[in-house]
Amino acid sequence: MKRTAATWFLWLWIAAVIVGAFLYAPLAAKFIGQSSRILFFHVPMAWASFVAFLTAGVWSLLYLFGGKRQARQPRCDRAARAAIELGLLFGVLATITGAIWARIMWGSWWNWDPRQTSIVMALVFNGAYLALRDSVEDAEKRARLAAAYATLGLVVTPFFFFVVPRITFSLHPEPVINASGQRDMETRMFQVLLASGAGFTALFFWLHDLRTRLLALADRVLEAHGASAPGDAGAAGAAVGAAAASARTSTQ
Amino acid sequence: MWRPASTWAREAGAVFAKEWRSELRTRYALNTLALFAINTLVVVSASLGPLGAAPGRGGEALPVLLWLILLFAAAAGLPRSFVHEEETQTATALRLAATPSALFCGKLAYSLTLLGTLEALVTPLYLTVMSLDVARPGLLVATLAAGGFGLAAGSTLVAAIIAQAHGKATLFAVLSFPVLLPLLLLAVELTRGAFSGGPPGVALMQLLLYDGAVLTAGLMLFPSVWNP
Repeated sequence: MKRTAATWFLWLWIAAVIVGAFLYAPLAAKFIGQSSRILFFHVPMAWASFVAFLTAGVWSLLYLFGGKRQARQPRCDRAARAAIELGLLFGVLATITGAIWARIMWGSWWNWDPRQTSIVMALVFNGAYLALRDSVEDAEKRARLAAAYATLGLVVTPFFFFVVPRITFSLHPEPVINASGQRDMETRMFQVLLASGAGFTALFFWLHDLRTRLLALADRVLEAHGASAPGDAGAAGAAVGAAAASARTSTQ
Repeated sequence: MWRPASTWAREAGAVFAKEWRSELRTRYALNTLALFAINTLVVVSASLGPLGAAPGRGGEALPVLLWLILLFAAAAGLPRSFVHEEETQTATALRLAATPSALFCGKLAYSLTLLGTLEALVTPLYLTVMSLDVARPGLLVATLAAGGFGLAAGSTLVAAIIAQAHGKATLFAVLSFPVLLPLLLLAVELTRGAFSGGPPGVALMQLLLYDGAVLTAGLMLFPSVWNP
């Protein structure tokens, strides 16, 4: 019941953000046509992919070094994997929306802007993490290696933030809070952006919860069917489908 | 379990000596690294000519090419130190013989010396065939040393991960690329400065920080990767 109410609140919140983005927030100066409105979706998507990356890192650290209750628990592995998958989803969406905006404002889809470079690196990292998972059959070994790789990613990533902006020239608009600590944005736009950021963060954690539970169910189905590789994406999906089909036929 | 430092050092030294002994028997990694690097260098040199002698003709790309040669040569040879243990099923014996941190350091020292040898061979050759003048040789040596260390540390940990997976050769490239990219960007920036005479700025400090971070991560994560 509580979960349903929270979900409805999330839907209403996101709907309000959409309405606010088109009807409440004004257009930004110096932007072509309505293109500035993409800000209310593009920035929160990039933010959500960053939150996803951090979430995966935290769950991976818990898997490797957590106390007695956390260490080497399959649920930590499932949570890390779900976060990486969603990070990839939000990252791809942020890249596409960014490219559309870049086409309108800069005249080309892709410019190797520092932020474009950073998001590509994040996508490559998430892809590599999933490729690693697909290459290991044993579930425990897969979880261990994937957690170690995600933690290594967490250690290396901050260097991009120092290095990439220095070596490439950026046309990207200033961050919402710029270097001098000032907020250089109209108040109503800032309100909608904050609301959207909060909405997308909640949306990420809601999807993350759903995906983690689905992965747990898939593992249980595989265990019940005596399969040797719980956590495997394709096999798990197929097993859940097969279990659902057999449940349907048994009730008919 | 606590172990005296002398035991730890002896274990690491034994792993290092064993790596070189088995390498000198087959010379697999040495041959792969050197021939791969020289082949690539020949292709680059033959297609571009002595680019360093003609400023303004794309000399900016020369540091990038040097580091790409070093990276791909390393990717061809370095993963073998762990892949070989899994293929010949000696990993279990190695687990019994040395603590994970000593093993990691022994393997890292081996990768480091291997990479150092490669750099000592390739860099003078590259400078010669491309007719490059180095304005700050000290900075170039420091960059090669710090860059080589980061390359070896990152590769050693990634090699330990991929050795336990399928599709090892391709997986190494896929997994190491996002990890090693900051290092490459920094090393290229510093090498460009060494060629043109520009100051190192904060890049050298950041490269050393990267080395420290990857070494610490390697020492912390390696026991989890290595021990079943």
